[in-house]
Amino acid sequence: MPRRDLTRRAFLKRVGWTSAGATTLLVGARPGRAASATSPYPDWIPASPKAPKRGGVLTRASAWDPPVLDPRLTQSVGLFQFAGLTSSRLIRYAFPDEATGTTDLTLKGDLAESWQSSTDNRVWTFKLRQGVKWQSVPPLNGRELTAADVKYCFEAYAKEGVQSFAFREIEGMETPDKYTLRVHLHTPNVLFPQNVAESVTVIFSREVLEEDGDLKKRLIGTGPYILKEHTRKVRVVLQRNPDYYDKGRPYVDEYVILSTPDAATRLAAFRTGQSDMIALASLSEVETVRKTNPAAVVQAYKNVLTPFGLALAQDKPPFNDVRVRRAISMAIDRQKQVDTVYEGHGILGWGVPYIYYQDTMPTASQLGPWWQYRPSEAKKLLTEAGHPNGFETTLFYYEYFPQMTSQVQLIQQELKKNLNINIKITKLDYTTYYGRYVEGKWDGMSWGFQSGHAVGLDERTYQYMHSKSTKNFFRVNDPLIDELTVKLRQTPDRAEQAKIAKRIVDREYDQVLRMWMPYDNGFLVLQPHVRNGGALAIRRTDAYGSPTIARLWLDK
Amino acid sequence: MHKYVIRRLLLAIPVLLISSLIVFGLMRVMPGDALIALMGESGNIGQKELAKLRNDLGLDRPYHEQYLLWLWQMASFNPGDSIFTNEPIPVSLKKAIPVTLELAALAMILGISIAVPIGVLSATRQDTTADYAGRVVAVSGLSIPDFWLGTLVITFSAIWVHWIPPIGYVSFWDSPWRNLQQFLLPAAVLGYRLAAATMRMTRSTVLETLREDYVRTAWAKGLAGRIVVYKHALKNALIPVVTIIGGQLGTLLAGTFVIEQIFALPGMGRLTVEAILYRDYPVVQTNVMLVAATLVTLNLIVDLTYAWLDPRIRYQ
Repeated sequence: MPRRDLTRRAFLKRVGWTSAGATTLLVGARPGRAASATSPYPDWIPASPKAPKRGGVLTRASAWDPPVLDPRLTQSVGLFQFAGLTSSRLIRYAFPDEATGTTDLTLKGDLAESWQSSTDNRVWTFKLRQGVKWQSVPPLNGRELTAADVKYCFEAYAKEGVQSFAFREIEGMETPDKYTLRVHLHTPNVLFPQNVAESVTVIFSREVLEEDGDLKKRLIGTGPYILKEHTRKVRVVLQRNPDYYDKGRPYVDEYVILSTPDAATRLAAFRTGQSDMIALASLSEVETVRKTNPAAVVQAYKNVLTPFGLALAQDKPPFNDVRVRRAISMAIDRQKQVDTVYEGHGILGWGVPYIYYQDTMPTASQLGPWWQYRPSEAKKLLTEAGHPNGFETTLFYYEYFPQMTSQVQLIQQELKKNLNINIKITKLDYTTYYGRYVEGKWDGMSWGFQSGHAVGLDERTYQYMHSKSTKNFFRVNDPLIDELTVKLRQTPDRAEQAKIAKRIVDREYDQVLRMWMPYDNGFLVLQPHVRNGGALAIRRTDAYGSPTIARLWLDK
Repeated sequence: MHKYVIRRLLLAIPVLLISSLIVFGLMRVMPGDALIALMGESGNIGQKELAKLRNDLGLDRPYHEQYLLWLWQMASFNPGDSIFTNEPIPVSLKKAIPVTLELAALAMILGISIAVPIGVLSATRQDTTADYAGRVVAVSGLSIPDFWLGTLVITFSAIWVHWIPPIGYVSFWDSPWRNLQQFLLPAAVLGYRLAAATMRMTRSTVLETLREDYVRTAWAKGLAGRIVVYKHALKNALIPVVTIIGGQLGTLLAGTFVIEQIFALPGMGRLTVEAILYRDYPVVQTNVMLVAATLVTLNLIVDLTYAWLDPRIRYQ
């Protein structure tokens, strides 16, 4: 048999040249890092001035799958990326085509046309929109929604599930007529309308719960879209509800959410037009996408709060000493995290949305003395607190996104270098982390979180910071915070509310009760034909802000 | 032969029992449970309410009771429902198994149909450019992890040809063309690893066989090279290749777990990964047992194939 001999030396030479060529090709194709850290993209996409077009299919590759369809059992973004489209709420926040800017938190009627409180703010009366029909799907078959439906739903939320804390403040409800719901609260709460405007407080149907015993399989509401298909780990298909009360809306005929767990695949899906929107964390990622999709529309999302921070076991030594908390806070260079981990496009970190107490984003100096990077003063303070040689502690976390691990490691290095605090880090899977964190019995430190969905001030203050709240994961136990958060719910005047909210955050910063850490601002990237898809503060279109899609249209 | 098969099947029982104990134990050692995972980002269920839910689901029973109950359910082919979704496990499996089977079968067909001819070519043209190229391909296939190759393939397909397989699984019976579009690329990625190992083994066994006396006799008789290689040498060279393919089946199944994530295919891999993350004990336990039973069966089939390839082999 003929053979063409090739020596090893000759072969290696050929391989060497081939590899060099391939490497050049790959490096040439690799998108470069963004030249500038400052975002060149607008932070607000105003509503399109054109007349909306009807029809088309909106598609999105999504990382999330709904665990169940029962809004009583979960507040997962997997469910609420579409539950706000199948189901309405009593009240909602303004949509992008109504809002004046991303921070516009004007409340609008959804199922309720109007609402008002008694003089003592303990009784809230909601007048419902007349003629709203449940979706024309058995067993509802398009019957009219009444006040009794909303009453039943709120009672079910209070009875069991993850929303029970919020709804148990209801003492009782009455329905004087078909379209009036009167809610009696245990204590006055001027912020109650915000609580029922949260994206998770959707109105579900009595018939389904009674027939099935739960809401795990069917989600029927009064919203702009009907749930046509939910195939786990494949797709969710929503079809336009022709009987939606807001005539003419929604504009898009079908919204398809494709379950796509891998980030690279979601990105590829956007690039190839299989997905109409994608959320990206960094500017360099956006630049990469813009190389293949130069017409893509980018919104530089600006967060008004951070959901993550260093949570300390502040009910136990050494963290029950405010000097230790202050020292740790001063030993961490937050700006470095923003500059390196978030490529300059991040916020320093605060827990209560700033829009409730000031117009502009807080500057570093507004966060107070304990939030500045001052390692030598941190060391002095820790020495004063009786820890001149530092101490050993632990930190557990779950990596919600890759940048988080970098942040945890930076903190570990800085606390070792500046305070000689040795941190043993444990990275956990989600379920282990979550179970341990919310149980609230851990020692040392954790990478803590507050829920991502909440827009309302009551939830962000009273429900997350009051010592008696079951959502007080940071284990805040401060009499002044308790007093102020209760006072806030009893203060109807907006200007006064802002002052109290400011006092709450000032107290939080001063006592370092929750040690917030930098968070990315992120980008929302849309295909060029998507109109009115921009995201509003704490309501991202692809996540808890999904009801926005009722106003979105496709310019094809 | 019958006795051999029965003995192997009986031996499978302790293997499966040990597997069941390991998976049951591991799942219970892991902290957290499905209820915690279900709460998502809320966490405001009271401890009493959690305790009640755990009681309803039988999660507060002693471990040995839970284990025996599960064994009984498995023995009676009724593995129960998912804690997380309430869906009966057989329903989930009915949806997931065809996806994984299709992926694995396509990967195997692609892998073998590439590996054997290249392995033979490499052996018959030893130390030529073709041989070195084949060996480089084989070593790369063994060295490159599936997840990395899968990510590269999907990323560069999007950048260079502006195409990726359509997302959103469609069954073959609903749309054969769309289904094939969805499976070809992941099957090729998965098949590459299988091909790499098989290619190397084919090359070395064919090389060895080509030096046997009976092959030399065939050459001396003046038979055509194609007849000598494919009719006389290859069949005898295939026994170790079949062993390698059998051994690769486990790797292939493990590979589907990763590839299904990347290419968004709703098969056994995604079902199991999600169940592990959410501590959905019945689903994880059932899936692992199913994989264990499959591997035991496949190994038996591989052993039985030897006799077909070489009639001199006898089972005792």
